[in-house]
Amino acid sequence: MSRLRFALAQGVLLSDALTALRAVGLDVSRLGEDRRLVVPSGDVEFVLARPSDIATYVERGAADLGIVGKDVLMESAARVLELADLRFGACRFVVAAPRDALERSLDEYRHLGSLEVATKYPHVAEEHFRRRGIQVEIVKVAGSAELAPQVGLADWIVDLVATGATLAANDLAVVEEIATSTARLIANPASYQLRRREIAPLVERLASWAAAR
Amino acid sequence: MPILAPPRGFRDILPTEARELRAIERALDETFASYGYVPIEPPMVERVDGDSGLERERLMQFLDRDGSLVALRPDITTAVARLVAQRYRDAAGALRLSYFAPVFREEPAMLGAEREYDQAGVELVGPSGPLADAEVLALLAESLARCGLRDATIEIGHVGVVRRAFADLNDDESAAVLDALRAGDHVGAFRLAADAGMRDEALGRARNALSARGRAVESIDIDGVDELREVIHLARDLFAGEPLWGVPNLSLVPALPYYTGVVFEAHHPKSGFPIAAGGRYDLLLGAFGTPRRATGFAISVPRLHLALFESGWRAARERALVSLAPAGTRDTAQLAAALRARGVVVAIGAVAERAGLEIVDASVVDHDHVRVADGRVMTADELARELA
Repeated sequence: MSRLRFALAQGVLLSDALTALRAVGLDVSRLGEDRRLVVPSGDVEFVLARPSDIATYVERGAADLGIVGKDVLMESAARVLELADLRFGACRFVVAAPRDALERSLDEYRHLGSLEVATKYPHVAEEHFRRRGIQVEIVKVAGSAELAPQVGLADWIVDLVATGATLAANDLAVVEEIATSTARLIANPASYQLRRREIAPLVERLASWAAAR
Repeated sequence: MPILAPPRGFRDILPTEARELRAIERALDETFASYGYVPIEPPMVERVDGDSGLERERLMQFLDRDGSLVALRPDITTAVARLVAQRYRDAAGALRLSYFAPVFREEPAMLGAEREYDQAGVELVGPSGPLADAEVLALLAESLARCGLRDATIEIGHVGVVRRAFADLNDDESAAVLDALRAGDHVGAFRLAADAGMRDEALGRARNALSARGRAVESIDIDGVDELREVIHLARDLFAGEPLWGVPNLSLVPALPYYTGVVFEAHHPKSGFPIAAGGRYDLLLGAFGTPRRATGFAISVPRLHLALFESGWRAARERALVSLAPAGTRDTAQLAAALRARGVVVAIGAVAERAGLEIVDASVVDHDHVRVADGRVMTADELARELA
């Protein structure tokens, strides 16, 4: 049978993910050695990809397992199995507004009936405001949503924050928290059934590694 | 220049593929019929009301002229439930219905997803109990085998057992946990259960149940596990097939909310998605005002086709096609008729689309004689014998 394919998100989660995999006995020494994106290692083949692509790879069975943030899963709505909370890469989805303008934007909402919300995460934002019954117009941006209120592109933003330092530096304050996020071990549903014998021990070891932290 | 491509998510199925799909359809029809299932053809369009199972945003819906909201059918099971409630309200005994038909679903753009594809399946309405559950399971396994698919496994779970694993919770809490499991979010499901005050010991038991597959299921002590095992034994009596085609697996919680009992999915190493899914849905017909027991399955024909193709399957060879170069219209017409009367497949003139068929080039000599590619001249009778 082919190697179990394990997709890892490049970027902030990668070093913690490698620590976790090393701790459960997988050989990750050849990852990052050069610029290869597919790295075989024993019974496993690692694939490096952008975080937002991991969910797609795993959903479609191009990878059997993956490590990716809950934030990515919430935004993509990919149909994958979330098997374990790995408890690193903690961050929060928040609604934020200019520190001095919260009252003004609420007044605007009363008069104009809608708020403009800039975000890189339109699905998460839309779902949140629909649940809260607040009428908003989502403005999708590709980066730096915290810029939007300062230049009048939007009243509020929905963004992912780890420490809140970027918000503070741009005079934004958290209006409310939408959800917290940490890294998840995910599996393709078909692979999880067909290759359970290989996957189950990995899930168990990674879950107890995370629980012990 | 007009746009020639069909709308997003729709496509033309050309003859090579269409021939293979027909071969699959024939194999499935014959297998369904051998268990006493009769075909049914619900309409392409259904009214949108109440809970159709599928999320609203995945329906391809539009307004009818009277202002009512209608949708292209997203599955056949819901249509059958509606139809049974209307037309077989008072029918006693078992209703065995089968179908092979396109369904329509709105998919997010840019994932290469199709909005129209064929589903084939059966619904068994009326009977309940292990023998009925085993019947549809065995029929699915036999259908895949008769199409020529090897190495398929059917994972068999039980939604009732999973529900009972969270019996400590109240109805709202356990519904929320089940919703999370249906979405594949095991992390969220156990977090909800813990937050709702489920004790560690009970959580551990539920966790064990949710990860039990194969032999491990035997150690799970929850009502319904025995039933699951009995169903699998009976199904294997009904259709022996390959060893171990049916695997008990309590982690299986399908996304569709209408399942109540034994559920199953067919998987194949060449497919990242299940090829078929089904199970018992005793509450769906009740939603249409006719509480009846029911179980069934649907096969995704494109996924089955893909798995077959990837494992080297090709549609059985049909008879060769004689491409008959004409010479004199009456001679050509009479020769073509003579050949067809002897069972030869004949197309007059050059063939633009071979559809994977073997082509035999021949030209008309006179009303009873034909010249083949190597120069031999033979009668219609002789050619028919040679090709037989």
